Formats: sequence, structure tokens, C-alpha cells
Amino acid sequence: MSTAPEVLLTMPARAEGVGVVRQALAGMADALDCDAAVLADMKMAVTEACTNVVVHAYDEAEGMLEVEMLAADEGLTIVVRDHGSGIHPRPSHHQPPALGLGLPLIAALSDSFELKGSAGEGTEVRMTFAYARDADPARANPVTGTVGKDGRWDPDASSRGGAPAGG
Amino acid sequence: MEANPIVLDDAAGDVVVVVVEGEHDIYTAPTLRERLEEALGRGGGIVVDLTGATFVDSSVLGALLDARRRALEAGQGYVVCVGETVEPGVQRILDITGLVPVLPVLRGRSEAIEAARTNGDAA
Repeated sequence: MSTAPEVLLTMPARAEGVGVVRQALAGMADALDCDAAVLADMKMAVTEACTNVVVHAYDEAEGMLEVEMLAADEGLTIVVRDHGSGIHPRPSHHQPPALGLGLPLIAALSDSFELKGSAGEGTEVRMTFAYARDADPARANPVTGTVGKDGRWDPDASSRGGAPAGG
Repeated sequence: MEANPIVLDDAAGDVVVVVVEGEHDIYTAPTLRERLEEALGRGGGIVVDLTGATFVDSSVLGALLDARRRALEAGQGYVVCVGETVEPGVQRILDITGLVPVLPVLRGRSEAIEAARTNGDAA
């Protein structure tokens, strides 16, 4: 596969753009020999990464969302980047408080992922997905915890599976 | 034309069904929150039917969990349901977050309506 497709998307970091990124990813996956379950995980992980940019990167200001898709023989690397204020947990004022599940989901769904960023220099999430898997990455990096009383995800809560239906 | 509709179905009477179809993420989550708010305002049980949903992300889970908390506080029944077959973009996030017993998620709308009728304080 010497003619590996590469895609670079640049768009305003707005909520309506996240679905466009999923569409582009689905189109790219059509050109690759990619397992359906892997594509579903790619869509979920890239959605969470783009949502982080939309919610956290630029506060009230306008800014850009960049997504790169790099196809290699064994797998696809997706890079989601912003040029915002760096990693911090505060969402923009016009958004409801985030659940805080984005990064745990990305870790569980990708075969490897790397988060880079510093204050004032933006953030980059780099995720790699094998086209065909030997094992489910969510078993190696499970999402721990459950929703806390404050409505945010509590990674240390241990009520998994033990709560009766309906709480 | 609405590609990813979220509508309220009152056919069950005392339980309102929020029918969610298509792909839902941060873009449609505010609409989902509005519909859930409307459903909570009816005062009875609430079922969120994801049978026709093809993709939901953590923004959607956040909206569903907020509505669940408010329903529990108000003593209103609250149940999420899926169909016989569930899209990978819905099943996967429910599975790996362990939220099936928490929300809770049941299979089939009529079972969910029955459960929402009986898991509120009014039952």
C-alpha cells in the first residue's frame, strides 16, 4: 500500500463540524480494509476528541479544529489538534458541564493514544487503530468508575454492575 | 427535513417516550436536553427509546444521566430502551461505560414503558 491516503481537515471548532469529521472518516475507511467494529470505535474516539476541542479549546473565542488521518499498512492514525488554551477542564460557558468521559473513552477505544499540550500552545490527541484486531483495546484500558452524584464521571467509583436497575 | 429527529410520543398515556433516531453528538445534545426537559415537565414516567439511534457519544450520555438524576429526584420513572438489534455506535458506548444497569437500559419499548410505570414513586 504505497499510495496511503492522507486527509487533513481544517474547520472552525464548532459542534456542527464533529459529524462532518465522522463522515470523512467513514469515507476514508471505505478505501481501507477496515473491520466494522474498528470503524465504529474510530468514529466514537474521534468524536470525543473533536468534542473536547469544541468544548474546551477556545473558551468563547473562535478557533480552528484540525484533524489528520494517516493510513499505514497496519492501521490508521488520527490526530485531532487545536491551537487553544491547552488542557484544562473548564468548558465554555454556553455548554452544560461535560461528563468527563472523553479521554477515558479514547483510551479504551484506540490501540494506542497520546495526549500532548501545554498552556497557551494548544492540544493534540494522536490515536492509532489497527484495521484488524487480535484483542479488544477496551479490555486493556477499560473505562473505570461510573457517574457520580454531581453528574460528572467519577473514575474511582466502584459501583460498576453492582447497582440495582433504576438505582 | 430532519435527519436526526428527537420527538416525544405520548401514545402510552402516563409515560412519555422520547424517540431518538439517527446520529447524536455535541451538536444535537442541546435539542435532546430540551426534549428531556419537556418530558420531565409532563410529570409522569419517561422512556428514552434509542432503537432508531445509529450513534451516540458522551454528550448524549451526559444528557441522559442528567435527566435520570432529575427524574429520580422527582420520583418519576426513567428507563432507556434499545431494539432487538443495536447499532455498534450505540451498544459499544453503553457496554464499555457499564451504564446498562445504571440508566437502566432495557430491550423493547413496551417493556421499558412498563418499567418506567413501576420504578417511579407514583407506582
